[in-house]
Amino acid sequence: MKNRLKRLTHIIIILFGILSLRLSYLQLIRGARYARLSDRNRIRKIVLPAPRGRIYDRNGILLADTRPSFSITVIPTETNDSALTLLANIINLPLAELKRRLEPIVAFPSPVTIYRNADPATVARIQENNFRLSGVLIRIDPVRNYPYRELYAHVIGHLGEVTEEELVKDSTYRRMDYIGRTGVEASYEKVLRGKDGYEFVEVDARGREIGPLPEKRPEPPIPGKDVYLTIDHRLQQLAHELTKNYDRAAVIGISVKTGEIICLLSRPQFDPNIFLSTIDPTVWKSLVNNPSKPFYNRAISSGYPPGSTFKPLVALAALKDQVVTPTTNLLPCTGSFRYGNRTFRCWSAHGKLNLLGAIEQSCNVYFYQIGLRLSLDSLVEFCRRLNLGKPTGIDIPGESPGNIPSREYLDRRYGKGKWTRGTMLNFAIGQGEIMLTPLQLATLYSCIANEGYYYKPFLVSRIDSAGIQLKTTRPYRIDVPINKPDLGQVKKALTRVVEFGTGRAAQHGEITIAGKTGTAQNPPRPDHAWFVGYAPAEAPEVVFAVLVENAGHGGTVAAPIVGELIRAYFSYER
Amino acid sequence: MSVNRRQFDITLFVLTLVLVTIGLIAIYSTGGIRYLFRQAIFVPIGLAGLVILFLIPRRIIYGLTEPLYVLTLLLLLAVLFFGTGPGARRWFQIGSISLQPSEFAKIAVTLMLAKYLSYKREIKPNFASLAGPILIMVIPLLLILVEPDLSTALCLIPPFAAMLYWQGLRPLHILLLFTPFLSFAAGFSLYLWIPFFILLAIIVFVRMRFFRAIAALATSTVFGLLSPVVLSMLKDYQRTRIISFFAPWFDPHGMGWNAIQSQIAIGSGRLFGKGFLHGTQKRLGFLPNRHTDFIFSAIAEETGFIGSLLLLIVIGILIRRILLIAYNSRDQNASLIAIGFASILGYQTFVNIGMLLGLLPITGITLPFISYGGSSLLTCCLMIGIILNISARPE
Repeated sequence: MKNRLKRLTHIIIILFGILSLRLSYLQLIRGARYARLSDRNRIRKIVLPAPRGRIYDRNGILLADTRPSFSITVIPTETNDSALTLLANIINLPLAELKRRLEPIVAFPSPVTIYRNADPATVARIQENNFRLSGVLIRIDPVRNYPYRELYAHVIGHLGEVTEEELVKDSTYRRMDYIGRTGVEASYEKVLRGKDGYEFVEVDARGREIGPLPEKRPEPPIPGKDVYLTIDHRLQQLAHELTKNYDRAAVIGISVKTGEIICLLSRPQFDPNIFLSTIDPTVWKSLVNNPSKPFYNRAISSGYPPGSTFKPLVALAALKDQVVTPTTNLLPCTGSFRYGNRTFRCWSAHGKLNLLGAIEQSCNVYFYQIGLRLSLDSLVEFCRRLNLGKPTGIDIPGESPGNIPSREYLDRRYGKGKWTRGTMLNFAIGQGEIMLTPLQLATLYSCIANEGYYYKPFLVSRIDSAGIQLKTTRPYRIDVPINKPDLGQVKKALTRVVEFGTGRAAQHGEITIAGKTGTAQNPPRPDHAWFVGYAPAEAPEVVFAVLVENAGHGGTVAAPIVGELIRAYFSYER
Repeated sequence: MSVNRRQFDITLFVLTLVLVTIGLIAIYSTGGIRYLFRQAIFVPIGLAGLVILFLIPRRIIYGLTEPLYVLTLLLLLAVLFFGTGPGARRWFQIGSISLQPSEFAKIAVTLMLAKYLSYKREIKPNFASLAGPILIMVIPLLLILVEPDLSTALCLIPPFAAMLYWQGLRPLHILLLFTPFLSFAAGFSLYLWIPFFILLAIIVFVRMRFFRAIAALATSTVFGLLSPVVLSMLKDYQRTRIISFFAPWFDPHGMGWNAIQSQIAIGSGRLFGKGFLHGTQKRLGFLPNRHTDFIFSAIAEETGFIGSLLLLIVIGILIRRILLIAYNSRDQNASLIAIGFASILGYQTFVNIGMLLGLLPITGITLPFISYGGSSLLTCCLMIGIILNISARPE
């Protein structure tokens, strides 16, 4: 017992002895230095922001990088109200808002960013008033830069300032930091962001830096990783060029052998650079009030009735269920079809046709009759098999699943038993509640072109860090069970569409193109024009889907765009 | 009810009063009149508690041990659902005052452990003998851990270890009891784990039979390997959080800053200090939570080496005094209680001041008697009350 008491006492003496030794080291040996640090000088913690990773196209063309920009920072402990009032005046920010940005960190004598991307005139004014702006510093920070402006608005997306909720959720963000909001910037935020560094410096009473603090080694910022897109910049530019006369359009190009997205465009666009500095209110208003919704990614977020581009799929379903054969002739087309007490129209009087001819001429009457023979459940099941009615899984956010109306859906919408087989007539020509995104149509045709191999579409092919490859995206293939001879027949018909049928405007001399036009009704407004095509027809490499809203006939408006894109695709060196 | 005056440990009582007074002065200096007033409310409450615990027959305390322990567990459970606090649920808000049940858990666990160990009489390094005490300690520890409040949870370890030692368990066996968890915590970084492992290997091979030593090392290795596995399963930001929770010295952004500021404040106090109310670091608001966990930095800045050393000596004498009372007590239960309380006070003092001096990672732990906080002050007073009771008369 005595022994144990002694030992416990020794432990206490040793522990308190350690404290006393350290205390005497800090206060007696190092005391003079610490006294200097606390009296005349101060320590400042400076954040060294990490530059965001660069984004390249598939051939190494720089699509997003960072450029130096002026940030205005304030050290809360070294500033005063008159300086803040003057600053608020110079940067045209309400004083209350300025103070709010400084609020949670008042005790830290480290610079807090309060204004990003200041223009040279503002910087000059701050420097002129230097002596009246105590605690206000100008710093040069890396800030995002999109050299091609609106061209990649919907692929790369844009950045925005972190919200209070995000700050609470992830403490590694600081107020005023940027975070990816849409596109690749959002889905690859963790990869692109990098890690901020910091350093501690000693400053004198006037706030001038004396030097680094030996107690605390600086930690350099780690730049974000670089991202390579599957996009081909030349095609993207061409798509932009070809659609410039239309208000609302979407273009998608996919490599059918991998699922790589080689171009993705949605019109109207916006310049993502505007989010990186104080937004001009008139520009902002014109964007927000634009009825065409520039922030809306039509290529992936918007479902449209696919119109006649849906017919090849209906044909495949019909062949599978053996309700027709490729050579079956149904009732001749007289320009309309009567079912019950309703008349369903066709765009011309096609006369007697078989299935292949009906695809080639895009005859509605033929497909109305298929619709009557086909069961809804079987059609829905077939769509599901082709991954329609759910998101494709593309690696950017905001994708719409489209809509494949099942029996349950129709019951919910119209009431049980309230809908008739007339609905099926509409579905058979890609109208009614059927909705697909341009991306989904592109993947559907890529699956047809591949004869049953579905590739998940993706935008980022590679992640690099300082020139070293970190990660490469491997194509992800799903095998879709479809009868090969049926596919062969439909592909033959699609080739004939461009050769002799409604898609002649997509024709291109040397390379055979296969595809399908679509003119989707959108009452009371004008029709949407569709064309989805792949090439070369005999050994497909690439598929393009083009949608132009309210522009009329797919054959006239959309088909030539796809023709041009395919011509360009095969003319480029790869 | 008669109290033998000669047996009333007047020294211990005076030391307590001195520390509480120093605390009030320091709180006034760092937090101003508002915090002084709020803290001063707890002084009469604490002293009243102290006197009551001193006066009541000890068998009442013993009789209440189990109900108190169960009540503590219930409170710890309740605070998880009804508690408040920034980022964690630690406090009960009652009007303008807030109470932290984990503070009182220190007392309840010590009482419970002391009663259990004194009842068992003999303790051996085997499962049957240790399962009981471990369970008594671990249940409240886990409840405090999920609040989450690692530093307060760890306060339950020193009384546990000290009381087992007092009861005759060898230090080596107590050490082995904790090695798996130490190994897990050290496993966050290889630079930490390798020295830990070498040290452990030396100790076990010198002091234990070969196969037992191997078994002990293997267990530690498994736990050490487990921690990178656990870490790799988490997302980036979760990992950062876990690491900064268990090993705050890996988070240079938040913690490094406070540690530097605290060291500058202490160091700049030099031999005689800057004088009462004249601390500049403190005044500039550089010290975070300066009236709670960082209060010693302010004291050291204003009173210098002489003042801070004196404070250390006062606390040291107080702890030595409690150890003597434990030694002199014939009642084994009481003796164990005193050992437990002494280890709590010693541990908290060492960890709190050690972190401010830059010797230990910064975690939230109060300096006994001195730090702002009603629950902490009340807990300290109640402990002293029980010890005074123990010293005053035999049961």
